[in-house]
Amino acid sequence: MTIKTGFERIRNSALWRSIFRSGEGSSNLHRAQAVQQNLLLHLFSVKIRSRALEFKPTWFLGALTLSTFFILVVTGILLMFYYHPSVPQAYADMKDLQFVVASGVFLRNLHRWAAHAMVFLAFAHMFKVFYRGAYRPPRQFNWVIGVFLLLLTLLLSYTGYLLPWDQLSYWAVTVGSNIAKAVPLMGDKMRFLLLGGHEVNANALLRFYVLHCVILPLAAVALIGVHFWRIRKDGGLYVPEKKS
Amino acid sequence: MSDEPKERAELQSDVRKNPRRIAFITRRTSPQVRTQDDARVMTYPTALLKFIVVLQVAFLALVWWSLTVNAPLEGIADPMHTPNPAKAPWYFLGLQDLLHYFPPMVAGVLIPGLVVAALIVIPYFNINIEGRSIWAKPAHRPWVMAAVPLFTVLIFLLFAIPQFTHGDGALPAVDRFLDLFVPIVPTLLVGGALLLSSRYSPQSPKPFQRWLAGKPLSFWIMTWFMVELIVLTAVGTFFRGPGWSWVLPWRSY
Amino acid sequence: MVVGPSLEELLNSNDQPGPLRSRPSGRELAIFGAVSLVLVVSLAIAPAKNYFSDWRHLQKAYLKLANDRQGGTLVRNFHGGIRQTWIPSLGVVDRCETCHVNQNGALLGSAGQPFRKHPPIPHDLGQFGCVLCHRGQGAATSVEEAHHTTEAWEQPLLPARYLDSSCGQCHLGALPGAPRLNEGRRLLSAMGCVHCHVVAQPDGNVMKPDDNPPPLVHIAEKTSREWIFAWIKNPQAYAASATMPNFQLSDQDAADISAFLIAQSTPSAAVKNAPPTAPSAQPAATANPTEAATLYGSLFCSSCHAVQNAAGNLVGGNFGPELTRVGSKANPDWLRRWLKDPGQYEPDTRMPHYRFDEKQITMLSGFLLAKKDDDLLSKVHLPAANADSVVRGKKLVTESGCAACHQINGVNPPQNFAPDLSRVGSRALSQIVFVPGMKHNVHDYITAKIHDPRSFGPALKMPKFNVTDEQIVALTTALLAQTDRANGLPHELLLSAERKPDYHPGGDAGKLMEDLRCLSCHSINGHGGDMAPDLTREGSSVQRAWLEEFMKNPNTLRPALIRRMPKFNLGPAEIKTISDYILSAYQAPGFDSQTLDAHAMDTDAAARGKQLFYSKYGCQACHIADYKNDKGYVGPALAGVGNRLTPVWMYKWLKDPNALRPGTLMPNLNLKDDEARDLAAFLMTLKAKQNGGAK
Repeated sequence: MTIKTGFERIRNSALWRSIFRSGEGSSNLHRAQAVQQNLLLHLFSVKIRSRALEFKPTWFLGALTLSTFFILVVTGILLMFYYHPSVPQAYADMKDLQFVVASGVFLRNLHRWAAHAMVFLAFAHMFKVFYRGAYRPPRQFNWVIGVFLLLLTLLLSYTGYLLPWDQLSYWAVTVGSNIAKAVPLMGDKMRFLLLGGHEVNANALLRFYVLHCVILPLAAVALIGVHFWRIRKDGGLYVPEKKS
Repeated sequence: MSDEPKERAELQSDVRKNPRRIAFITRRTSPQVRTQDDARVMTYPTALLKFIVVLQVAFLALVWWSLTVNAPLEGIADPMHTPNPAKAPWYFLGLQDLLHYFPPMVAGVLIPGLVVAALIVIPYFNINIEGRSIWAKPAHRPWVMAAVPLFTVLIFLLFAIPQFTHGDGALPAVDRFLDLFVPIVPTLLVGGALLLSSRYSPQSPKPFQRWLAGKPLSFWIMTWFMVELIVLTAVGTFFRGPGWSWVLPWRSY
Repeated sequence: MVVGPSLEELLNSNDQPGPLRSRPSGRELAIFGAVSLVLVVSLAIAPAKNYFSDWRHLQKAYLKLANDRQGGTLVRNFHGGIRQTWIPSLGVVDRCETCHVNQNGALLGSAGQPFRKHPPIPHDLGQFGCVLCHRGQGAATSVEEAHHTTEAWEQPLLPARYLDSSCGQCHLGALPGAPRLNEGRRLLSAMGCVHCHVVAQPDGNVMKPDDNPPPLVHIAEKTSREWIFAWIKNPQAYAASATMPNFQLSDQDAADISAFLIAQSTPSAAVKNAPPTAPSAQPAATANPTEAATLYGSLFCSSCHAVQNAAGNLVGGNFGPELTRVGSKANPDWLRRWLKDPGQYEPDTRMPHYRFDEKQITMLSGFLLAKKDDDLLSKVHLPAANADSVVRGKKLVTESGCAACHQINGVNPPQNFAPDLSRVGSRALSQIVFVPGMKHNVHDYITAKIHDPRSFGPALKMPKFNVTDEQIVALTTALLAQTDRANGLPHELLLSAERKPDYHPGGDAGKLMEDLRCLSCHSINGHGGDMAPDLTREGSSVQRAWLEEFMKNPNTLRPALIRRMPKFNLGPAEIKTISDYILSAYQAPGFDSQTLDAHAMDTDAAARGKQLFYSKYGCQACHIADYKNDKGYVGPALAGVGNRLTPVWMYKWLKDPNALRPGTLMPNLNLKDDEARDLAAFLMTLKAKQNGGAK
C-alpha cells in the first residue's frame, strides 16, 4: 500500500503536475488525457479496438519496424561518439570499436543487425498490409507514405553500409552507385551529386555520413509521424469487419 | 420524434461500386470512423504496454543475434583490389541479379522505377474492397487460362533473349542452363497456383481451396512480385560467386 | 440504395460502444514482467563478455607470476588495462604489449609466451612497434585476431623463418644480421628471377639479374639441335647445377623450339674471321690425356667451372657453366674458336681471353670433348626440321618468354612478361588463386609457387626452378620484404643498397683488362667480382718488379690455394701496359714517401723488428717468415714478402689492417709508430731466394 500511496504523492506533486497535466485520479478520463496531452502519444486515438491489437491481423510488423527504428536511433547515436567520417580513420574506428571500446562490437552488431531487420520488416509489413487489404480507401495515402518510408529505409541502410569503410562496404556502394550511371541524361550528374566526385572516396564518405546521420533520419522521423497520424485520421488500424 | 429527421444519412450498400464512407464530425471531437461495436481498450496504458512488450521482444531478439553473430568487417577499403564477386547489400541483390540479365538501363532504372510506381498507384486502382475472385466471371475464364502461359513464355523470353544475344560464351553449360531456367521458377510457381485455383470452387468445403479460389488478380500479381523478389534475392545472396557464376553457398570460392 | 439511420441514431450508437477495457490484464503484466527480466539479464551478457576478455585473463596470470617471483614491487608498478605503442608517422597502433607485458624482461627468470622477454635486437623495442617486423594485427586485443588470418586481416603473424624479411623493408641492401634476406636477394638476381619479374624497391632501385644467360644468336655453331632438345627438356640432366629452369615441355614443343633456335642462328664474328682452312679435325688424338689434365688444373679452370666427380659431387666454381658433359654439347670447331678468343663468339662473356697457343688449345679441347655422356643424346631422334615446326617453335619461344633471358634473333625481349613482385609481400589474398588444401596466406603461396609453379595450373608459364628448400625459404624471405608498408615508410628510414656505377678502366690498359675479364674476379672501387683480391689500392701495395713477374707466372702467390689466378700467357708489352696502369691508377691516398722515413729502416731497425715479430707479437703463429722453422698457416706466408710489398703499405697495414681491407682476419695490434716501422723493415729483408719463386 505504501508504494501505491507514495506513487500517488508523486503524481500529486506540483512538479509532476506541471509536466503531466492529467492530474490525480485513475479514471478513463485521466487515461485519455495522458494520451491527448502527450506530444508523441496524441498522434494516436484515445481508445483502440482490441481486435487491432491482436497478433493475427498485423503480426505486429509495423510495431516491430518502429521498434528496430528506435533501437537504430539509440545505437546510432552511441556509435557517433566513436566515429570519424574520414579516410582512413573511419576504418581505424571500426577496429577501435572492436578491440578497445567496452562492448563496442556488441554496439556495432546491434546497429548492423537492427538495420538488416528493419529492411526485412519494412518489406514484410508492406506485404502484410497488402494481403489483408489495409491499403484500400480511405488509407490510400498512408500506403503511399509507407512506400516512401520503405525507400527511405533502403536509403538509410545503403548510406550506412559505406561508413565502416572496409572492402565489403566500399565495393557494395560502388556497385550500387554504378547503377545510377544508367539513368538517362542525368545519371552521371546524380551520381556525382551523391558521391561528391566520380569515385567512391573521402567525399562520398562524408556525404553518406551526413545523409545517414542527419538528413535521412529527420525525413524518416517526419514521415513516420505522418504515417502514424494518418492511421488515426483514416479510422484506426484496419480490421476486417466481422461477418454478422 | 414522429417528425422527419432533421438530417438523413445515406449509405451505399454496394461498397464495390461506391467505396466512400461518410463521417460525421460534431464539435469538440475528432473524426473517427465507427465500423462495428468492437471491444476497445484504452491506448494508455494497455495498448502502450503491448507496444512496449513488442519493442522489448524485438530488442531481445536483436541482443541475442548480436551476441552470437558478429557484424562482418573486411580489410580496409582498397580501390585497387576489386573483390570477385563485388556484391551490393543483400536487399539490392535481386536488383544486381537482374543486372546480370538486362542492361543497366532496364535492370537498374526501368524495372525498379516501374515497381515503385506500381506500388504507389496500387490503392488508387484496386478499389474492390472485398476483392473479386479472378474466376468470378465465367466469360473471362478462357482469357485468364490463355494469359497465364503467355505471360510465362513472355517472362522466359525476357530473361532468355539477353542470354543468347550478349553471348557469354565463357560461362560453363551448367551456368547457362541455370541462368535460363531459375528466373522462370517464380512465374511457374505462381502461374501454376493460379491455374490450379481455377479447379476449386469458392464454396468448397476445404478452407484452403476456398481461400485460393477467392483471390483477385491483384493478389496474384503481388504474389508473383514477392516470389520473384525472394527468389532473385536468394539467388544473388547465396548462389552467385566469382564473375556472377553459379556456386553452392556451402562451397568456399 | 437504402436509407440509413439518422445522425442522432449514429451519435447515440457511438456513445454506446462495445466493452471498454482500461487496464492491462494480469497476463499482459506478467508477460511484460517476464520479458523485461529476460531483457535485462541478456543486456548484462555483453559487458560480462567484455570483462572476461583474453587480455584481462593474461594480465591477471602475469600478476600472479610476478607476485610469486618478486613480491609486491613489480605488481605495484604494473599498469593494467590496454597498453599500446602508437607511432602516427609509421601508421603503427600496436597493442601487443597488452598481453606481452614482459618484453623488457622485468620479470626475473624465464617465462613462456606471452610473457617471454624479447631477445635483444639492434633497435629499441618501442622504436618501430611490433607489427612492422612480426606482422599480424597489432590493433587487436584478442589472441585469435592478433595472430591469425581473419576476414578483416589477411596478414598473419610471420613465421620465424621468414623474419629476416621484415628487416628488408628498410634495409634495402645487404644486412649482416639477416643472412636469409641477403641470400634471397642474391638468388633473385643470380637465378634470373628478375629477368621476367620486376622487383622494385621502395627507393626506386630495380633489382638486376646477375646470371648471365648466354645469347642464342649463334647457337648453331656451338651445339647440335639434339643437344638443345635434351637441354630444354631437362637442363639438370645435362648439368646438375644448371640455373636454367625446367619448362616441362612436350617432345613436340621441344623439337619445334630446337628447330627454330637452329634456324634463327647467324654466323658469329669468330666464324667470319676464321681462316678458311679448318684446324685439324682430330685434335683429341694428338693430345696426351694426362698432360691435358695437368694443363686444365694449372690454368685454374676449376676456379670458375665445376665438374662432377665419380661420387656425384660437384668440384669447382660456379662462375662459369658446369663442364661435366661438355663433350656431348660442344661442337669441336666452335670449342677451338671459343678457347682462342671467347669474345669473338659472345662479346659479353665473363670468360677471359687467354692467350693460348695452338698446342694448348688442342690439348684443352681434346680434354673437354672427352667429358661426354653418351646416354644423354642416344635416345634423341628428331625428325628433320621443316618450316612449320620453325614457325611453331618461334611462337613457343615468344610465348614462353625465352627472350626475357636469352638474346634470340627475331624475338624481342618481352616487356612486363611476368607479374610485378614489387609489393608481393602485401598481395591481397583475394587476388591470389590458391590450390585447394593450401593455407590462405602470402608466404605459403610464394613458397608453393616457387616449389612447383605448374601445380597452380598446367597452363601457367612460370617454369620449375632447380632450388633447394633452404633456397626457397630465402627467396620467400626476400620477396616478403616487398610490402606496401615499406613503400609507405618515411624516406629517411630507408637505407638504400650501395649503387655500383659501371666501371670501365680507360685506355689501352682498359681494353686489355676488358679482354682478360679482370673484373670477373677482381673488384676495383666496389665494382667487379669477389673471387680474387680487391685491386683498388694495388698500385700502392706492390712493387713493380714483383707485379711484372707475377703477371708472367701467377703461380707464385699462395700456392696452397685451389683457386688461383690463371696464367694468361701475356706478352711483355701487354704486361708492361697493365703494370704501368695498375701502379699509376690504383694508388691509395696518403701512400707517399712522406709517410715513412726510409732512412730509419736500417739493419738495426730490421733486427728490432725481428724481435718484435718472433717475441713480442708472436707473428709466426699465423705467418711463415722462414719455411724451416715457422708453422703458421692462418695468414699468408711472408717469405719473399720483401720482394712483393712496398714498405709504406706494410707500415700502414700493420698500423690498421682493417682500414685497408675491411673484414680481414689480421688483428689490429695497436702498434706504436716505431714498432710498425721496425717490423716493416724486418719484413723488407725477407727476400725470395730465387727470383719470382717462393716454393
